[in-house]
Amino acid sequence: MNPFRKSTLAMLVPSLGPIAVFVLVPIALTIGLSFTKWSTQTPFATASFIGLDNFAEIFSSSSVGRDFKGALVNTALYSALSIALLLPLSVAFGLLVHQARLKGAEVLRTVLFATYMVPMIAVALVFSKLYSPSEGPINQILGLVGIGPQPWLSSPDTALVSIVFLNVWQQVGYFTVLVIAGLTQIPQSVYDAARIDGAKGFSLFGFITLPLLKRTLLFSAVIALINAVQVFEPVALITQGGPVGSTNVLTYHIRRVGIERAQGGLGSAMSVTLLLALVITVTAVFAFARSEPTGRGAK
Amino acid sequence: MAARDIYAPGEGAPLGRALLYVLMIAIAVAAAFPLAWMVLSSLKTPAEAMQTPPVWIPATPSLDAYEKVTDLINAGRSFVNSAIIAGVTTTGILITSLMAGYAFSKYRFRGRDALFAITIATMFLPPIVTLIPLYRMIGSIGLSASLAGVILPNLANAFGIFLMRQFVAGVPDELLEAARLDGASEMRIVFTIVAPAVAPALAALALFAFVYHWNSYLWPLTVLQGNSSEYPIVISLSRLLSYNRSAINTNLVMAGATLAVLPPLILFVFLQRFFVRTVTASGMGGQ
Repeated sequence: MNPFRKSTLAMLVPSLGPIAVFVLVPIALTIGLSFTKWSTQTPFATASFIGLDNFAEIFSSSSVGRDFKGALVNTALYSALSIALLLPLSVAFGLLVHQARLKGAEVLRTVLFATYMVPMIAVALVFSKLYSPSEGPINQILGLVGIGPQPWLSSPDTALVSIVFLNVWQQVGYFTVLVIAGLTQIPQSVYDAARIDGAKGFSLFGFITLPLLKRTLLFSAVIALINAVQVFEPVALITQGGPVGSTNVLTYHIRRVGIERAQGGLGSAMSVTLLLALVITVTAVFAFARSEPTGRGAK
Repeated sequence: MAARDIYAPGEGAPLGRALLYVLMIAIAVAAAFPLAWMVLSSLKTPAEAMQTPPVWIPATPSLDAYEKVTDLINAGRSFVNSAIIAGVTTTGILITSLMAGYAFSKYRFRGRDALFAITIATMFLPPIVTLIPLYRMIGSIGLSASLAGVILPNLANAFGIFLMRQFVAGVPDELLEAARLDGASEMRIVFTIVAPAVAPALAALALFAFVYHWNSYLWPLTVLQGNSSEYPIVISLSRLLSYNRSAINTNLVMAGATLAVLPPLILFVFLQRFFVRTVTASGMGGQ
Protein backbone atom coordinates (compact mmCIF):
# COMPACT_ATOMS: atom_id res chain seq x y z
CA MET A 1 0.00 0.00 0.00
CA ASN A 2 1.34 3.37 -0.90
CA PRO A 3 0.71 5.98 1.78
CA PHE A 4 1.56 8.71 -0.72
CA ARG A 5 -1.11 7.99 -3.30
CA LYS A 6 -2.14 11.58 -3.87
CA SER A 7 1.44 12.79 -3.93
CA THR A 8 2.46 10.10 -6.40
CA LEU A 9 -0.13 11.36 -8.85
CA ALA A 10 0.81 15.00 -8.26
CA MET A 11 4.51 14.22 -8.81
CA LEU A 12 4.03 12.23 -11.99
CA VAL A 13 1.33 14.12 -13.89
CA PRO A 14 3.42 17.20 -14.79
CA SER A 15 5.91 15.06 -16.73
CA LEU A 16 4.03 11.92 -17.73
CA GLY A 17 1.04 13.99 -18.89
CA PRO A 18 3.01 15.90 -21.53
CA ILE A 19 4.94 12.75 -22.52
CA ALA A 20 1.65 10.89 -23.02
CA VAL A 21 0.05 13.74 -24.98
CA PHE A 22 3.06 14.80 -27.07
CA VAL A 23 4.89 11.50 -27.57
CA LEU A 24 2.59 8.50 -27.09
CA VAL A 25 -0.47 10.04 -28.77
CA PRO A 26 1.55 11.16 -31.82
CA ILE A 27 3.07 7.65 -32.15
CA ALA A 28 -0.42 6.15 -32.11
CA LEU A 29 -1.54 8.76 -34.65
CA THR A 30 1.45 8.10 -36.91
CA ILE A 31 0.63 4.38 -36.93
CA GLY A 32 -3.08 5.01 -37.48
CA LEU A 33 -2.56 7.61 -40.21
CA SER A 34 -0.17 5.34 -42.09
CA PHE A 35 -3.24 3.33 -43.20
CA THR A 36 -5.07 6.41 -44.48
CA LYS A 37 -5.06 8.98 -47.21
CA TRP A 38 -4.74 12.27 -45.36
CA SER A 39 -3.56 15.79 -46.12
CA THR A 40 -1.47 17.32 -43.33
CA GLN A 41 -3.26 20.62 -43.97
CA THR A 42 -6.62 19.22 -42.85
CA PRO A 43 -8.00 17.96 -39.48
CA PHE A 44 -7.31 14.33 -38.50
CA ALA A 45 -11.02 13.56 -39.02
CA THR A 46 -10.65 13.94 -42.80
CA ALA A 47 -8.32 10.94 -43.04
CA SER A 48 -9.87 8.11 -45.10
CA PHE A 49 -8.86 4.49 -44.53
CA ILE A 50 -7.03 2.90 -47.45
CA GLY A 51 -5.50 -0.19 -45.81
CA LEU A 52 -1.95 -1.00 -46.83
CA ASP A 53 -1.95 1.18 -49.96
CA ASN A 54 0.64 3.63 -48.60
CA PHE A 55 3.03 0.79 -47.79
CA ALA A 56 2.46 -0.77 -51.18
CA GLU A 57 3.18 2.62 -52.74
CA ILE A 58 6.46 3.30 -50.89
CA PHE A 59 7.78 -0.15 -51.74
CA SER A 60 6.59 -0.09 -55.35
CA SER A 61 8.74 0.74 -58.36
CA SER A 62 6.93 4.07 -58.91
CA SER A 63 8.90 7.29 -58.43
CA VAL A 64 7.53 7.59 -54.87
CA GLY A 65 8.80 4.08 -54.13
CA ARG A 66 12.16 4.70 -55.77
CA ASP A 67 12.73 7.91 -53.78
CA PHE A 68 11.75 6.29 -50.48
CA LYS A 69 13.83 3.16 -50.98
CA GLY A 70 16.74 5.40 -51.99
CA ALA A 71 16.33 7.36 -48.75
CA LEU A 72 16.15 4.13 -46.74
CA VAL A 73 19.37 2.84 -48.32
CA ASN A 74 21.12 6.20 -47.88
CA THR A 75 20.15 6.31 -44.20
CA ALA A 76 21.31 2.72 -43.65
CA LEU A 77 24.62 3.47 -45.35
CA TYR A 78 25.06 6.71 -43.44
CA SER A 79 24.29 5.01 -40.11
CA ALA A 80 26.59 2.05 -40.76
CA LEU A 81 29.49 4.30 -41.79
CA SER A 82 28.95 6.60 -38.81
CA ILE A 83 28.97 3.72 -36.33
CA ALA A 84 31.95 2.05 -38.04
CA LEU A 85 33.96 5.25 -37.57
CA LEU A 86 32.62 6.49 -34.24
CA LEU A 87 33.08 3.32 -32.20
CA PRO A 88 36.76 2.55 -32.93
CA LEU A 89 37.70 6.24 -32.76
CA SER A 90 35.95 6.74 -29.43
CA VAL A 91 37.73 3.69 -27.98
CA ALA A 92 41.13 4.94 -29.21
CA PHE A 93 40.52 8.48 -27.93
CA GLY A 94 39.07 7.15 -24.68
CA LEU A 95 42.15 5.06 -23.97
CA LEU A 96 44.34 8.08 -24.72
CA VAL A 97 42.42 10.43 -22.39
CA HIS A 98 42.21 7.75 -19.71
CA GLN A 99 45.99 7.77 -19.33
CA ALA A 100 46.07 8.90 -15.72
CA ARG A 101 49.57 10.25 -15.86
CA LEU A 102 49.39 12.19 -19.08
CA LYS A 103 49.06 15.86 -18.27
CA GLY A 104 46.74 17.61 -20.67
CA ALA A 105 44.41 14.67 -21.16
CA GLU A 106 41.66 16.78 -19.62
CA VAL A 107 42.26 19.47 -22.22
CA LEU A 108 41.84 16.92 -25.00
CA ARG A 109 38.61 15.69 -23.45
CA THR A 110 37.32 19.27 -23.25
CA VAL A 111 38.19 20.03 -26.88
CA LEU A 112 36.59 16.78 -28.04
CA PHE A 113 33.43 17.30 -26.02
CA ALA A 114 33.15 20.95 -27.02
CA THR A 115 32.40 20.03 -30.64
CA TYR A 116 29.30 18.24 -29.37
CA MET A 117 27.93 21.58 -28.10
CA VAL A 118 28.08 23.29 -31.48
CA PRO A 119 24.72 23.68 -33.24
CA MET A 120 24.52 21.34 -36.23
CA ILE A 121 23.46 24.25 -38.43
CA ALA A 122 26.73 26.04 -37.68
CA VAL A 123 28.68 22.82 -38.25
CA ALA A 124 26.98 22.39 -41.61
CA LEU A 125 27.71 25.98 -42.66
CA VAL A 126 31.36 25.77 -41.62
CA PHE A 127 31.96 22.40 -43.29
CA SER A 128 30.29 23.55 -46.49
CA LYS A 129 33.13 26.10 -46.67
CA LEU A 130 35.86 23.72 -45.48
CA TYR A 131 34.84 21.28 -48.21
CA SER A 132 34.72 23.93 -50.94
CA PRO A 133 36.73 22.38 -53.81
CA SER A 134 38.66 25.53 -54.76
CA GLU A 135 38.74 27.93 -51.80
CA GLY A 136 38.35 25.34 -49.03
CA PRO A 137 41.25 24.54 -46.71
CA ILE A 138 40.70 20.75 -46.72
CA ASN A 139 41.70 20.30 -50.35
CA GLN A 140 44.55 22.74 -49.73
CA ILE A 141 45.87 20.55 -46.88
CA LEU A 142 45.45 17.42 -48.99
CA GLY A 143 47.42 19.14 -51.75
CA LEU A 144 50.32 19.66 -49.33
CA VAL A 145 50.60 15.90 -48.78
CA GLY A 146 50.24 15.17 -52.47
CA ILE A 147 46.55 14.18 -52.69
CA GLY A 148 44.57 15.74 -55.52
CA PRO A 149 41.47 17.91 -54.87
CA GLN A 150 38.36 15.95 -53.89
CA PRO A 151 34.83 16.97 -54.99
CA TRP A 152 33.39 16.33 -51.48
CA LEU A 153 29.78 17.58 -51.33
CA SER A 154 29.50 18.23 -55.06
CA SER A 155 29.78 14.66 -56.33
CA PRO A 156 27.23 11.86 -55.82
CA ASP A 157 30.12 9.48 -55.03
CA THR A 158 31.48 11.47 -52.11
CA ALA A 159 28.64 13.68 -50.79
CA LEU A 160 27.17 11.19 -48.28
CA VAL A 161 30.60 10.23 -46.94
CA SER A 162 31.42 13.94 -46.54
CA ILE A 163 28.36 14.32 -44.31
CA VAL A 164 29.39 11.21 -42.36
CA PHE A 165 32.79 12.84 -41.63
CA LEU A 166 31.06 16.01 -40.46
CA ASN A 167 28.83 13.93 -38.17
CA VAL A 168 31.79 11.97 -36.78
CA TRP A 169 33.66 15.21 -36.10
CA GLN A 170 30.69 16.54 -34.12
CA GLN A 171 29.86 13.42 -32.13
CA VAL A 172 33.11 11.58 -31.43
CA GLY A 173 33.71 13.54 -28.21
CA TYR A 174 30.41 12.43 -26.73
CA PHE A 175 31.14 8.76 -27.40
CA THR A 176 34.67 9.21 -26.08
CA VAL A 177 33.24 10.37 -22.76
CA LEU A 178 30.99 7.29 -22.70
CA VAL A 179 34.01 5.05 -23.29
CA ILE A 180 35.95 6.80 -20.51
CA ALA A 181 32.99 6.16 -18.20
CA GLY A 182 33.17 2.49 -19.19
CA LEU A 183 36.94 2.34 -18.67
CA THR A 184 36.76 3.77 -15.16
CA GLN A 185 34.46 0.89 -14.17
CA ILE A 186 37.05 -1.79 -14.98
CA PRO A 187 38.74 -2.69 -11.71
CA GLN A 188 42.53 -2.62 -11.68
CA SER A 189 42.57 -6.05 -10.01
CA VAL A 190 41.34 -7.66 -13.25
CA TYR A 191 44.44 -6.39 -15.04
CA ASP A 192 46.68 -7.48 -12.18
CA ALA A 193 45.25 -11.00 -12.32
CA ALA A 194 45.68 -11.16 -16.11
CA ARG A 195 49.25 -9.99 -15.82
CA ILE A 196 50.06 -12.74 -13.31
CA ASP A 197 48.83 -15.10 -16.03
CA GLY A 198 51.40 -13.54 -18.34
CA ALA A 199 49.17 -11.31 -20.47
CA LYS A 200 50.58 -7.97 -21.54
CA GLY A 201 50.21 -5.13 -24.01
CA PHE A 202 47.80 -5.82 -26.79
CA SER A 203 46.50 -9.09 -25.40
CA LEU A 204 45.40 -7.24 -22.25
CA PHE A 205 43.38 -4.93 -24.47
CA GLY A 206 41.92 -7.79 -26.50
CA PHE A 207 41.09 -10.09 -23.60
CA ILE A 208 40.21 -7.66 -20.82
CA THR A 209 39.51 -4.09 -21.94
CA LEU A 210 37.43 -4.77 -25.04
CA PRO A 211 35.20 -7.53 -23.58
CA LEU A 212 34.56 -5.44 -20.47
CA LEU A 213 33.66 -2.46 -22.65
CA LYS A 214 31.07 -4.55 -24.47
CA ARG A 215 28.05 -3.07 -22.69
CA THR A 216 29.30 0.47 -23.20
CA LEU A 217 29.93 -0.18 -26.89
CA LEU A 218 26.50 -1.75 -27.35
CA PHE A 219 24.90 1.31 -25.81
CA SER A 220 27.11 3.58 -27.93
CA ALA A 221 26.12 1.72 -31.09
CA VAL A 222 22.41 2.12 -30.32
CA ILE A 223 22.75 5.83 -29.52
CA ALA A 224 24.91 6.40 -32.61
CA LEU A 225 22.26 4.69 -34.71
CA ILE A 226 19.40 6.76 -33.24
CA ASN A 227 21.45 9.91 -33.81
CA ALA A 228 22.38 8.91 -37.35
CA VAL A 229 18.79 8.46 -38.55
CA GLN A 230 18.11 12.02 -37.35
CA VAL A 231 20.62 13.63 -39.71
CA PHE A 232 18.84 16.62 -41.19
CA GLU A 233 20.60 19.98 -41.06
CA PRO A 234 23.53 19.39 -43.46
CA VAL A 235 21.15 17.88 -46.01
CA ALA A 236 18.45 20.54 -45.64
CA LEU A 237 21.01 23.33 -45.69
CA ILE A 238 23.65 22.31 -48.20
CA THR A 239 22.77 19.41 -50.46
CA GLN A 240 18.93 19.30 -50.46
CA GLY A 241 19.22 15.56 -50.92
CA GLY A 242 21.49 15.84 -53.94
CA PRO A 243 23.64 15.51 -55.96
CA VAL A 244 21.45 12.98 -57.82
CA GLY A 245 19.61 11.94 -54.65
CA SER A 246 22.82 10.66 -53.04
CA THR A 247 22.20 12.45 -49.72
CA ASN A 248 18.41 12.12 -49.64
CA VAL A 249 18.09 10.67 -46.12
CA LEU A 250 14.93 9.62 -44.28
CA THR A 251 14.42 12.51 -41.87
CA TYR A 252 14.78 14.99 -44.72
CA HIS A 253 12.62 12.93 -47.08
CA ILE A 254 9.82 12.26 -44.56
CA ARG A 255 9.60 15.94 -43.68
CA ARG A 256 9.46 16.90 -47.35
CA VAL A 257 6.68 14.43 -48.11
CA GLY A 258 4.63 14.75 -44.90
CA ILE A 259 5.00 18.45 -44.11
CA GLU A 260 6.04 20.34 -47.25
CA ARG A 261 3.97 18.28 -49.70
CA ALA A 262 1.33 17.68 -46.97
CA GLN A 263 0.98 13.99 -47.87
CA GLY A 264 0.39 13.04 -44.23
CA GLY A 265 -0.67 9.44 -44.79
CA LEU A 266 2.27 8.65 -47.04
CA GLY A 267 4.73 10.40 -44.70
CA SER A 268 3.31 8.47 -41.73
CA ALA A 269 3.80 5.16 -43.54
CA MET A 270 7.43 6.15 -44.11
CA SER A 271 7.80 7.03 -40.40
CA VAL A 272 6.33 3.67 -39.36
CA THR A 273 8.73 1.88 -41.71
CA LEU A 274 11.65 3.77 -40.17
CA LEU A 275 10.47 2.87 -36.66
CA LEU A 276 10.15 -0.81 -37.60
CA ALA A 277 13.57 -0.81 -39.24
CA LEU A 278 15.06 0.70 -36.06
CA VAL A 279 13.37 -1.80 -33.74
CA ILE A 280 14.50 -4.72 -35.92
CA THR A 281 18.08 -3.42 -36.15
CA VAL A 282 18.42 -2.76 -32.41
CA THR A 283 16.93 -6.17 -31.57
CA ALA A 284 19.33 -7.83 -34.02
CA VAL A 285 22.31 -6.00 -32.53
CA PHE A 286 21.39 -7.18 -29.02
CA ALA A 287 20.72 -10.74 -30.20
CA PHE A 288 24.08 -10.80 -31.95
CA ALA A 289 25.82 -9.44 -28.86
CA ARG A 290 24.22 -12.05 -26.63
CA SER A 291 25.09 -14.95 -28.94
CA GLU A 292 28.73 -13.88 -29.00
CA PRO A 293 30.92 -15.64 -26.48
CA THR A 294 32.72 -13.03 -24.42
CA GLY A 295 36.44 -12.90 -24.93
CA ARG A 296 37.16 -12.04 -28.53
CA GLY A 297 36.22 -9.17 -30.75
CA ALA A 298 33.12 -7.88 -29.01
CA LYS A 299 32.13 -5.30 -31.57
CA MET B 1 54.75 3.56 -11.41
CA ALA B 2 54.88 3.99 -15.15
CA ALA B 3 52.16 5.76 -17.06
CA ARG B 4 49.08 3.65 -17.75
CA ASP B 5 49.63 2.06 -21.07
CA ILE B 6 47.45 2.49 -24.08
CA TYR B 7 45.88 -0.95 -23.82
CA ALA B 8 45.36 -1.24 -20.12
CA PRO B 9 45.71 1.10 -17.18
CA GLY B 10 48.72 0.23 -15.04
CA GLU B 11 51.13 -1.18 -17.61
CA GLY B 12 54.36 0.41 -18.79
CA ALA B 13 53.54 2.48 -21.88
CA PRO B 14 54.40 0.54 -25.03
CA LEU B 15 54.25 3.60 -27.23
CA GLY B 16 56.32 5.94 -25.17
CA ARG B 17 55.02 9.09 -23.65
CA ALA B 18 56.29 11.43 -26.36
CA LEU B 19 54.37 9.59 -29.04
CA LEU B 20 51.19 9.69 -26.95
CA TYR B 21 51.56 13.46 -26.60
CA VAL B 22 52.03 13.88 -30.34
CA LEU B 23 48.88 11.83 -30.89
CA MET B 24 46.91 13.84 -28.34
CA ILE B 25 47.95 17.16 -29.83
CA ALA B 26 47.15 15.96 -33.35
CA ILE B 27 43.65 14.90 -32.31
CA ALA B 28 43.02 18.15 -30.43
CA VAL B 29 44.16 20.20 -33.44
CA ALA B 30 41.95 18.19 -35.80
CA ALA B 31 38.98 18.68 -33.48
CA ALA B 32 39.55 22.40 -32.99
CA PHE B 33 40.48 23.22 -36.58
CA PRO B 34 36.95 23.72 -38.02
CA LEU B 35 36.04 26.11 -35.19
CA ALA B 36 39.34 27.99 -35.52
CA TRP B 37 38.73 28.31 -39.26
CA MET B 38 35.24 29.62 -38.56
CA VAL B 39 36.47 32.37 -36.22
CA LEU B 40 39.43 33.34 -38.45
CA SER B 41 37.22 33.53 -41.55
CA SER B 42 34.73 35.73 -39.73
CA LEU B 43 37.49 38.34 -39.30
CA LYS B 44 38.45 38.42 -42.99
CA THR B 45 37.55 40.97 -45.64
CA PRO B 46 35.16 39.64 -48.32
CA ALA B 47 38.03 39.44 -50.82
CA GLU B 48 40.23 37.49 -48.43
CA ALA B 49 37.41 35.09 -47.63
CA MET B 50 37.10 33.98 -51.26
CA GLN B 51 40.78 33.75 -52.13
CA THR B 52 42.18 30.67 -53.87
CA PRO B 53 44.24 29.07 -52.43
CA PRO B 54 42.67 29.98 -49.08
CA VAL B 55 44.43 32.34 -46.67
CA TRP B 56 44.38 31.18 -43.07
CA ILE B 57 45.21 34.30 -41.11
CA PRO B 58 43.39 37.51 -42.06
CA ALA B 59 45.88 40.30 -42.88
CA THR B 60 43.72 43.03 -41.38
CA PRO B 61 41.29 41.41 -38.96
CA SER B 62 38.05 43.38 -38.70
CA LEU B 63 34.68 42.99 -37.05
CA ASP B 64 32.79 44.39 -40.04
CA ALA B 65 31.23 41.05 -40.85
CA TYR B 66 29.69 40.86 -37.37
CA GLU B 67 28.10 44.25 -37.76
CA LYS B 68 26.68 43.38 -41.17
CA VAL B 69 25.42 39.94 -40.25
CA THR B 70 23.75 41.20 -37.08
CA ASP B 71 21.48 43.41 -39.19
CA LEU B 72 21.06 40.85 -41.94
CA ILE B 73 19.66 38.07 -39.77
CA ASN B 74 18.08 40.27 -37.11
CA ALA B 75 20.46 38.73 -34.61
CA GLY B 76 19.18 40.54 -31.50
CA ARG B 77 15.64 39.33 -31.93
CA SER B 78 16.80 35.82 -32.87
CA PHE B 79 18.95 35.62 -29.75
CA VAL B 80 16.00 36.60 -27.57
CA ASN B 81 13.84 33.94 -29.26
CA SER B 82 16.52 31.27 -28.75
CA ALA B 83 16.89 32.29 -25.11
CA ILE B 84 13.11 32.08 -24.56
CA ILE B 85 12.84 28.66 -26.23
CA ALA B 86 15.87 27.19 -24.44
CA GLY B 87 15.19 28.95 -21.12
CA VAL B 88 11.50 28.13 -20.71
CA THR B 89 11.96 24.57 -21.98
CA THR B 90 14.86 23.97 -19.60
CA THR B 91 12.94 25.33 -16.61
CA GLY B 92 10.01 23.05 -17.41
CA ILE B 93 12.25 20.01 -17.83
CA LEU B 94 14.02 20.67 -14.51
CA ILE B 95 10.78 20.93 -12.51
CA THR B 96 8.95 18.01 -14.13
CA SER B 97 12.01 15.71 -14.11
CA LEU B 98 12.77 16.37 -10.45
CA MET B 99 9.20 15.60 -9.38
CA ALA B 100 8.93 12.44 -11.48
CA GLY B 101 12.41 11.29 -10.51
CA TYR B 102 11.41 11.66 -6.87
CA ALA B 103 8.21 9.65 -7.32
CA PHE B 104 9.94 6.88 -9.26
CA SER B 105 12.75 6.48 -6.76
CA LYS B 106 11.07 7.15 -3.39
CA TYR B 107 7.48 5.92 -3.76
CA ARG B 108 6.28 2.35 -4.17
CA PHE B 109 3.16 2.03 -6.25
CA ARG B 110 1.52 -0.50 -8.52
CA GLY B 111 2.79 -0.47 -12.09
CA ARG B 112 5.77 1.71 -11.19
CA ASP B 113 8.36 -0.27 -13.12
CA ALA B 114 6.18 -0.72 -16.19
CA LEU B 115 5.42 3.00 -16.24
CA PHE B 116 9.10 3.82 -15.91
CA ALA B 117 10.01 1.39 -18.70
CA ILE B 118 7.50 3.00 -21.08
CA THR B 119 8.84 6.43 -20.19
CA ILE B 120 12.44 5.37 -20.87
CA ALA B 121 11.46 3.81 -24.20
CA THR B 122 10.39 7.24 -25.46
CA MET B 123 13.98 8.41 -24.98
CA PHE B 124 15.08 6.35 -27.97
CA LEU B 125 12.46 7.66 -30.34
CA PRO B 126 13.76 9.82 -33.20
CA PRO B 127 11.61 13.00 -33.34
CA ILE B 128 10.84 12.54 -37.04
CA VAL B 129 8.57 9.58 -36.20
CA THR B 130 6.08 11.85 -34.42
CA LEU B 131 6.73 15.05 -36.39
CA ILE B 132 3.79 14.90 -38.81
CA PRO B 133 0.90 14.38 -36.32
CA LEU B 134 2.58 16.63 -33.73
CA TYR B 135 2.76 19.45 -36.27
CA ARG B 136 -0.96 19.01 -36.95
CA MET B 137 -1.79 18.84 -33.21
CA ILE B 138 0.02 22.11 -32.52
CA GLY B 139 -1.75 23.65 -35.50
CA SER B 140 -5.19 22.52 -34.36
CA ILE B 141 -4.79 24.12 -30.92
CA GLY B 142 -3.85 27.38 -32.66
CA LEU B 143 -0.18 27.45 -31.66
CA SER B 144 1.50 27.10 -35.04
CA ALA B 145 3.97 29.85 -35.95
CA SER B 146 4.40 30.74 -32.26
CA LEU B 147 7.14 30.22 -29.68
CA ALA B 148 4.57 28.58 -27.41
CA GLY B 149 4.04 25.92 -30.07
CA VAL B 150 7.79 25.25 -30.18
CA ILE B 151 8.07 25.03 -26.38
CA LEU B 152 4.91 23.17 -25.32
CA PRO B 153 5.70 19.57 -26.42
CA ASN B 154 9.17 19.69 -24.87
CA LEU B 155 8.38 20.65 -21.27
CA ALA B 156 9.03 17.12 -20.05
CA ASN B 157 11.41 14.47 -21.25
CA ALA B 158 12.42 10.93 -20.45
CA PHE B 159 16.14 11.59 -20.19
CA GLY B 160 15.58 14.11 -17.40
CA ILE B 161 13.35 11.68 -15.49
CA PHE B 162 15.93 8.91 -15.89
CA LEU B 163 18.73 11.13 -14.64
CA MET B 164 16.79 12.48 -11.65
CA ARG B 165 15.57 9.06 -10.57
CA GLN B 166 19.15 7.91 -10.48
CA PHE B 167 20.41 10.82 -8.39
CA VAL B 168 17.38 11.22 -6.07
CA ALA B 169 17.82 7.54 -5.13
CA GLY B 170 21.04 8.61 -3.40
CA VAL B 171 19.24 11.02 -1.04
CA PRO B 172 18.91 9.26 2.37
CA ASP B 173 15.35 8.29 3.37
CA GLU B 174 15.99 9.41 6.97
CA LEU B 175 16.25 12.97 5.72
CA LEU B 176 12.81 12.73 4.11
CA GLU B 177 11.27 11.01 7.17
CA ALA B 178 12.58 13.72 9.47
CA ALA B 179 11.04 16.40 7.29
CA ARG B 180 7.72 14.52 7.22
CA LEU B 181 7.74 14.32 11.02
CA ASP B 182 8.19 18.08 11.02
CA GLY B 183 5.03 18.29 8.97
CA ALA B 184 6.58 19.27 5.62
CA SER B 185 4.45 18.52 2.56
CA GLU B 186 5.82 16.27 -0.17
CA MET B 187 6.12 19.18 -2.60
CA ARG B 188 8.04 21.13 -0.05
CA ILE B 189 10.37 18.20 0.53
CA VAL B 190 11.07 17.91 -3.19
CA PHE B 191 11.93 21.55 -3.68
CA THR B 192 13.63 22.43 -0.39
CA ILE B 193 15.40 19.19 0.58
CA VAL B 194 15.80 16.96 -2.48
CA ALA B 195 16.63 19.71 -4.98
CA PRO B 196 19.65 21.08 -3.10
CA ALA B 197 20.86 17.52 -2.47
CA VAL B 198 20.94 16.76 -6.20
CA ALA B 199 22.06 20.24 -7.32
CA PRO B 200 25.04 19.05 -9.42
CA ALA B 201 22.82 16.69 -11.41
CA LEU B 202 20.24 19.45 -11.85
CA ALA B 203 23.00 21.73 -13.13
CA ALA B 204 24.09 19.10 -15.63
CA LEU B 205 20.51 18.50 -16.76
CA ALA B 206 19.98 22.25 -17.13
CA LEU B 207 23.04 22.46 -19.37
CA PHE B 208 22.09 19.46 -21.48
CA ALA B 209 18.56 20.76 -21.94
CA PHE B 210 19.60 24.35 -22.63
CA VAL B 211 22.25 23.43 -25.20
CA TYR B 212 20.02 20.86 -26.88
CA HIS B 213 17.10 23.26 -27.29
CA TRP B 214 19.29 26.21 -28.22
CA ASN B 215 20.72 24.09 -31.05
CA SER B 216 17.47 22.41 -32.06
CA TYR B 217 16.44 23.07 -35.66
CA LEU B 218 13.98 20.56 -37.10
CA TRP B 219 11.04 21.20 -34.74
CA PRO B 220 11.20 25.04 -34.60
CA LEU B 221 11.56 25.11 -38.40
CA THR B 222 8.44 22.96 -38.76
CA VAL B 223 6.33 24.92 -36.27
CA LEU B 224 7.35 28.45 -37.17
CA GLN B 225 6.79 28.08 -40.93
CA GLY B 226 8.05 31.39 -42.24
CA ASN B 227 7.11 33.54 -39.23
CA SER B 228 10.57 35.09 -39.22
CA SER B 229 10.02 37.40 -36.23
CA GLU B 230 9.88 34.31 -34.02
CA TYR B 231 12.95 32.56 -35.48
CA PRO B 232 15.65 31.32 -33.13
CA ILE B 233 19.24 32.05 -34.11
CA VAL B 234 19.83 28.67 -35.79
CA ILE B 235 16.99 29.25 -38.25
CA SER B 236 17.98 32.86 -38.92
CA LEU B 237 21.47 31.58 -39.56
CA SER B 238 20.29 28.97 -42.03
CA ARG B 239 18.69 31.75 -44.06
CA LEU B 240 22.17 33.00 -44.88
CA LEU B 241 22.22 30.11 -47.32
CA SER B 242 21.13 32.30 -50.20
CA TYR B 243 24.06 34.59 -49.44
CA ASN B 244 26.17 31.52 -48.80
CA ARG B 245 25.85 30.50 -52.44
CA SER B 246 28.22 33.28 -53.45
CA ALA B 247 31.66 33.03 -51.93
CA ILE B 248 31.81 36.79 -51.44
CA ASN B 249 29.82 36.47 -48.26
CA THR B 250 31.78 33.70 -46.60
CA ASN B 251 32.99 36.07 -43.88
CA LEU B 252 29.36 36.98 -43.07
CA VAL B 253 28.31 33.34 -42.84
CA MET B 254 31.22 32.56 -40.54
CA ALA B 255 30.48 35.56 -38.33
CA GLY B 256 26.87 34.43 -38.02
CA ALA B 257 27.95 30.88 -37.19
CA THR B 258 30.37 32.17 -34.55
CA LEU B 259 27.59 34.16 -32.89
CA ALA B 260 25.30 31.12 -32.75
CA VAL B 261 28.04 28.87 -31.38
CA LEU B 262 29.19 31.18 -28.58
CA PRO B 263 26.38 30.79 -26.01
CA PRO B 264 26.37 26.96 -25.82
CA LEU B 265 30.16 26.84 -25.97
CA ILE B 266 30.67 29.42 -23.20
CA LEU B 267 28.11 27.64 -21.04
CA PHE B 268 29.93 24.38 -21.60
CA VAL B 269 33.39 25.71 -20.79
CA PHE B 270 32.16 27.09 -17.47
CA LEU B 271 30.13 24.08 -16.44
CA GLN B 272 31.83 21.17 -18.13
CA ARG B 273 32.74 19.43 -14.88
CA PHE B 274 29.02 18.84 -14.25
CA PHE B 275 28.59 17.48 -17.76
CA VAL B 276 31.45 15.05 -17.51
CA ARG B 277 30.64 13.95 -13.98
CA THR B 278 27.01 13.30 -14.84
CA VAL B 279 27.75 11.41 -18.05
CA THR B 280 30.28 9.34 -16.13
CA ALA B 281 27.90 8.69 -13.24
CA SER B 282 24.89 7.82 -15.36
CA GLY B 283 26.72 6.24 -18.28
CA MET B 284 24.78 8.36 -20.72
CA GLY B 285 24.27 11.97 -21.68
CA GLY B 286 21.86 14.57 -22.93
CA GLN B 287 19.81 13.32 -25.78
